[in-house]
Amino acid sequence: MESMSRLVDVLCESSRRNFHNIYDLVAWPERVEPTRDWFMSPELCSLAGTEVWDLLSPEAQKRLAFHEAVNFFSLNIHGESALMQGLAQRLYGLRTRAVSPYLHHFLDEENKHCVLFGTFCERYAGKVYPDRKVVSSATIGDAGQADFLFFAKVLIFEELVDRFNLAMSKDRRLHPIAVAINHNHHVEEARHLAFGRRMCAELWAAGRPAWGPEACAAMRAYLQQFFAVSWKEYYNPDVYRDAGLAAELAGRWDACDPWALQHYGWQHPASRARRISMSERCMSFLALLGAGPQPENAEHERVP
Amino acid sequence: MTGKCNADEARAELRGWVLSTAPGLAEDKLTDTTPLLEARLITSLHVPELLLLIERLRGRPIDLSALSAGDLKDLATICARFLE
Repeated sequence: MESMSRLVDVLCESSRRNFHNIYDLVAWPERVEPTRDWFMSPELCSLAGTEVWDLLSPEAQKRLAFHEAVNFFSLNIHGESALMQGLAQRLYGLRTRAVSPYLHHFLDEENKHCVLFGTFCERYAGKVYPDRKVVSSATIGDAGQADFLFFAKVLIFEELVDRFNLAMSKDRRLHPIAVAINHNHHVEEARHLAFGRRMCAELWAAGRPAWGPEACAAMRAYLQQFFAVSWKEYYNPDVYRDAGLAAELAGRWDACDPWALQHYGWQHPASRARRISMSERCMSFLALLGAGPQPENAEHERVP
Repeated sequence: MTGKCNADEARAELRGWVLSTAPGLAEDKLTDTTPLLEARLITSLHVPELLLLIERLRGRPIDLSALSAGDLKDLATICARFLE
């Protein structure tokens, strides 16, 4: 872990140079118009590319995209909340002492992101969608394995959200508030991802010789499952209910209750193609490390 | 995939889901009182999917703020708490 000191110095310097008051970053409009403006890129909506999407009026597509944005920001809040808990537990820990100066910035920046996400959700939707991951993860293996799995899960979570952030930070069709939130998150996640990839590589390399093939296989399977669960959260029946899809589709689509739409969206080939494309960077990194499904595995075994 | 199921159908579908989630589990080893999380037939990562399944089977959402791991203890508890 001492070998990370140079990276930690660079990241700390960058975080200090870009330190900002989150409360001055965004000018929040009094209200927004979900059926007039886009708040999520249409191509990134969970039902994009499906027959159901094509049946929706332009206003209904925008209303769905607004609730998809609220879901995306809610997922970020829940993911970052778990992340902050794990980072706080590891401040000045046995294996993480050398990187603790950067963990302070990591925590600070994640907390600020949550301020933006939470403000958007509460101000314009009146709520944050609840987290269905209501049961805490049981500890797997020894403390070193737990550290690796924690940082690997952080990396998966952040790699996926960053693909959305990056695309939406450049999407000029979106309302400026959506662009600003995604842009801020993407810029700071770039540092977090650089740190996360290096932490995963260091922890895996340090622990792997002692863990043995069986424990490594169990960790790979666990991360594969975490990947699938992370993706499934993007298909939220609460979103379809709030967007009024059942009424919108009545008489034109048979199975339009929120859970049927969740199942339909998840299984649709267009959705699957999107997941494969957006998972590639993260999957390739984990495979290269030896901690993820290997490239020779069939695509359907690698990506949920 | 649509509509609310009756209690027997819901119980059968739940049971099928647990068996598919724990492929090494023999059918006769899964009773209504077999502990699901404690015996690691399902893990914390399976819980979101289980909750979606329960919601679909009963045709309405679950109040997640009032939920605890004990509510998902076994098939009998899940059925009594959410599906009857």
